[in-house]
Amino acid sequence: MIDRVASGFHPFVIPFVAGMVFVLGYCFIGIFRILLQLPAEDRKRFFISLVTPKTILKNIRDIFCDCLFHVKLWKRNRLLGYMHSSIAFGWFMLIVLGHIEVILFLPHRIRLFYYPIFFNFFVAEADSTIQGSLLFFLMDFFLLIILSGIALAMYKRIRSRIFGMRRTARPSLMNRIGLYSLWAIFPLRLLAESFTAHISGGSFLTIPANWVFRQFLGNDLNLLPTWWAYSIVLDVFMVVLPFSRYMHIPAEMMLIPLRNAGIRVRNARKGFAKVQVLSCPNCGVCIDACPMSVDKANIKDCTVYLTRQLRRKNERRIEEISDKCLLCGKCEAVCQVGVEGPALRIQLRSERKYALSPDYSCIPDPPPAESAGEGKVLYYAGCMSRLVPSVGRSVESVFRKAGIAYEWIDRDGGVCCGRPMYLAGRLEEAEAIVRKNEAQILGYGVGTLVVSCPICYKMFKEKYDLPGIRIVHYIDYMQELLDAGRLKASRSDLCYVYHDPCELGRGMGIYEEPRRLLGRIAAITESPKNRNESICCGGSLGSLTLSFAKREKMTRAALENLYDGKADAIATACPLCLATFSRYADRPVRDIAEIVDAQTVGTITKTEAI
Amino acid sequence: MKENVVIIGGGIAGMEAARQLLLLGYHPIVVEQKDRLGGHVGQWHRLFPDMASAQDLIRGLGEEISDANIFLETKVNSINRLRDGYQVMLSNGVNVACRSLLVASGFQLFDAARKEEYGYGVYDHVITNSDLEAWFNGKPDVRIPEVPENVGFVHCVGSRDLKAGNLECSKVCCMTAVKQAIEIKEKFPSARVWCFYMDLRLFGKKYEDFYLGAQQEYGIQFVRGRVSEVGETADGRLQVKAEDTLTGKPLRVRLDLLVLMAGMACNPEMTRLARMARLDIDSDGFLKSLDNIRSINASNRPGIFFAGACTGPKTVPETLAEARAAALDIHRYLQKGL
Repeated sequence: MIDRVASGFHPFVIPFVAGMVFVLGYCFIGIFRILLQLPAEDRKRFFISLVTPKTILKNIRDIFCDCLFHVKLWKRNRLLGYMHSSIAFGWFMLIVLGHIEVILFLPHRIRLFYYPIFFNFFVAEADSTIQGSLLFFLMDFFLLIILSGIALAMYKRIRSRIFGMRRTARPSLMNRIGLYSLWAIFPLRLLAESFTAHISGGSFLTIPANWVFRQFLGNDLNLLPTWWAYSIVLDVFMVVLPFSRYMHIPAEMMLIPLRNAGIRVRNARKGFAKVQVLSCPNCGVCIDACPMSVDKANIKDCTVYLTRQLRRKNERRIEEISDKCLLCGKCEAVCQVGVEGPALRIQLRSERKYALSPDYSCIPDPPPAESAGEGKVLYYAGCMSRLVPSVGRSVESVFRKAGIAYEWIDRDGGVCCGRPMYLAGRLEEAEAIVRKNEAQILGYGVGTLVVSCPICYKMFKEKYDLPGIRIVHYIDYMQELLDAGRLKASRSDLCYVYHDPCELGRGMGIYEEPRRLLGRIAAITESPKNRNESICCGGSLGSLTLSFAKREKMTRAALENLYDGKADAIATACPLCLATFSRYADRPVRDIAEIVDAQTVGTITKTEAI
Repeated sequence: MKENVVIIGGGIAGMEAARQLLLLGYHPIVVEQKDRLGGHVGQWHRLFPDMASAQDLIRGLGEEISDANIFLETKVNSINRLRDGYQVMLSNGVNVACRSLLVASGFQLFDAARKEEYGYGVYDHVITNSDLEAWFNGKPDVRIPEVPENVGFVHCVGSRDLKAGNLECSKVCCMTAVKQAIEIKEKFPSARVWCFYMDLRLFGKKYEDFYLGAQQEYGIQFVRGRVSEVGETADGRLQVKAEDTLTGKPLRVRLDLLVLMAGMACNPEMTRLARMARLDIDSDGFLKSLDNIRSINASNRPGIFFAGACTGPKTVPETLAEARAAALDIHRYLQKGL
C-alpha cells in the first residue's frame, strides 16, 4: 500500500473538511453553552460523574447500546432495529477501519483527518497483504450492511407498517435535505471506491463493480467526479445536521452522560432539556403510542412535534402542545433516546403567568393531632376516591377485617395531595399544598401511610418529606396482610383483565404487584397493550385543554384494548381509571380493593397496627 | 272485521292510544314486556300538580281497554315490511299483520349507580326517586330510616350531564323533587328537607304554586348548586358537600337519607326496535320524529307512529295528549288507505 498523491491533498476534500470543521465547531460551542446553562450543582454533579469509574463504564455501555446498536429499537421491531443499527454501526465501523488503515499503511498521514474517509483515493496497491485484503473486505462488508440499511430506509418511506409503525412524523424541509443527502452518501462512496478499485485495490463489492464499470464507462474519467460528489454530499449532510433531526447523533452522546449523572429537567428551554430536544430523532414512535392520536386526531400534539416546535421557538404551538397532553408518560416509555415528554411539558406549563394565584391561607392549619394515630395506620383516600366512594369503603372494610387499627385522615374531606397543581405546572402552589399535608400527617405520629390513589402515591413518594413514615399503596399493604395470614382469600369465579394505571405503572414502575395480588383471588388475562405500553384511560388530570368529547374517544379506544374474549370484568388500581372506564365499559369495572374486599374474610379478632 | 293496530309498549301512552283506537273502531294489540300494564307511572304513587293517584289513573285506563288484545311479558322479535303494512312477530309465537304500528316504548330510568360520586348502591341511605315512590306505595325499603331528620334531594342525576352521556333535561324531575320533598315533609313533619338544584325548570300548570308552597308552607330548603360529593361518616350518616352558588359559599350537611332524581335515558329496547324497523334516531339518542313541531307523532316509515317518551322526556299529560293525537293520526292513515 503506497501513497499515491505526493502532496497528500486534493481539492475535492475541501467540502468535506469545511463541513467537518463547521459541525465540530458548532457542537463544541453547543456543549460549552449547555454546560454553562446547567445550574451550578448539576454541572458539578456532571463533572464528578465523568471521572467516576462506574458512570464512565455505564456511559460507554449506553452509548454503544443506544447510539450504535439501537438495542431498544431491536426490541421494538427487528427490522427497524436492523435498519438503524446497520447505518449507525456500519458507519462507525467504516470510520474506525479507515483510521486503522491509515495507521497501518500510511502512519505519517494520520494528522490529516480526511485521510481515513477518502483512503482509497490516496493509495495505490503495490503489493497485496493479508491485513490489506482483510481490511478491504471489512470495508466492503460494512458498506454493504449500510447500503442494505439505506434500502430499508427508503422502503420505510413508502410502507412504514412493516417496521411496526403506523404513522411517522412528517419530515420538515431541513430533515428532507438531511435525509436525501444521507441516502446519497453511501451509494456515492460505493461508486467512488469502485471507480478507484483498479488503482487502490478493493474487495468483493468494489472490484467486481470496477470490472463492470470498466466495460461501459472509462474508469479514470469518472474517478474524480464521483469523489467530488461523495465529498459534497458529506458536506451537505454536515452543514444541515445542526438544523435537522440528525443533530440527535451528537446530542445523544451528550444526553447519555448527563442522564447517567442523575440530572433532571429543571428548565424547559435550557441545559438538559435543550439536549433532550436536540436528541429527538423525529422517528415518530411516540405518535402511535400517544393515546390522543386515536382516530388520527391530535397527531401534531405528540412529543415529536413538541421538540420540533421548541427548536423552532413557535410559542403558540408550544403552549398548545404542552397544555393538551395527558401526561400519561407513554411517549417517554417508548422513546428510543429517552426524551421526557411529560417533564418538558410540566416545565413549559410552569413558565405561564397567572393573573390569580390561589391563596391557601384560608385552609386552616390542621389541629395538632397530638399523636392521635400512635399505634395506628394512616389512610389517605384522596380526592379521586371521592368520585368512586366504593374504593375507600373497600379499603376500610379490609382494614377492619384484618384487625388493623387505622385513622382515615381525609374521611371528612382533606387537602388535595397537590399533584393536579404540580401537573398543571403550578409548582409553588403544589409545594404549598404539600407542606400543609406534611404538617398534618406528621402530627399523627404514625409509621405507615396507606394510599389508595396512584396519583397521590406518586406525589407522596416523590415530593413529600415524611421522615420515619413508610408510604405504601394498598396493593402492597393488602398483599402483606394476606401474606401475614390476617386475611383469608377465596377465589373469585370471574376472570379479570388488569389495566395498568399510568401513574402506578409507568409513573412508579409497579407492574407485577397488582397482578400478583389479583392473581391470588381471581383469574387474570392480559391485554395486547399492557404494562409500560398500557393505554391511558383518557381521564388523566394531566391535560388542561382536552375536551370531554375527545377524551371519550380515547376512553373507548383504551377499552377496546381491554376487551378480551376471556375477561368477564376489568380490574384496575386507580380510582380515576375506575370512574372513567365505568362510564362506557360494556362489562363491570372494579378496583382491586373492591375485589379483595369481596374475596376475603378476616382471621384476626384483635385490632392493632402493623 | 276490525283492523289490527300493534302498540309496542303498555305504559300510559300505549294504554291511552289503545283506548282511543278502540273508540275509533280498531282492534289494538298491546305488546308489553313486563308482567303488568302501566309502565313507570304504574309504579308511581301520586302525580303532580293535584296529587292524583297514579294507581287510579292506571286502573281507569286498564278497565277501558279490556276489549283490546293485551300480550304481557312479550317482546317484539321482528318487524318485516309487507307490501302495504308490516308483519310483527312476537316472542310468544304470535304473528300479526297490520298496516299501522304505534311505538310507545317509553324511556329507561337513568341508572343512578353510574354517578358513582353520589354513592347509590355504595352507601346505605341513598335511594332514587323511583325507589321513594315504591316506598310510598307500601314497598318496604331498609335504606329509609324510621324517622329521618335530614333528607336531601339531588336534582339532575344523569340529566344535563355530559359525563353521564345525557345532555338533555328530563323535564319532570324538578317538579317530582318538589312533590316528593313535600310528601316527605308530610310524612315526617320534623324532618329538614334540602333540594340541591342547578336551576329549577317549573314550566307547567300550577308548578310555580307548588314550588312556592314547598318553600313557604313546608319550609323546604332550596340550594342552588350541584352536589360535589357524598361521603359517609363513621356513624353511617351521609355527608353531602355542595356549593351554594347564590351565597358563593361551600356547604356541608349531614343527612339521613339522600334521594337522587334520576332522569330519563334512552330505552335500549327502543334502540333495538329502531334498528328492526329502520327508524331514525335523533341526535339526543331518542327516536326521531318526522318533524319536531308539526308531526311529532310521525316517523320516517309509513304507517309507524310514535307516542310518549320514546321521542324524548315527557310529562304525564303530554304523553296522554300525544297518545290521543297518535291514535287520530293512525285513524287518518288507515282511512286514507281504504
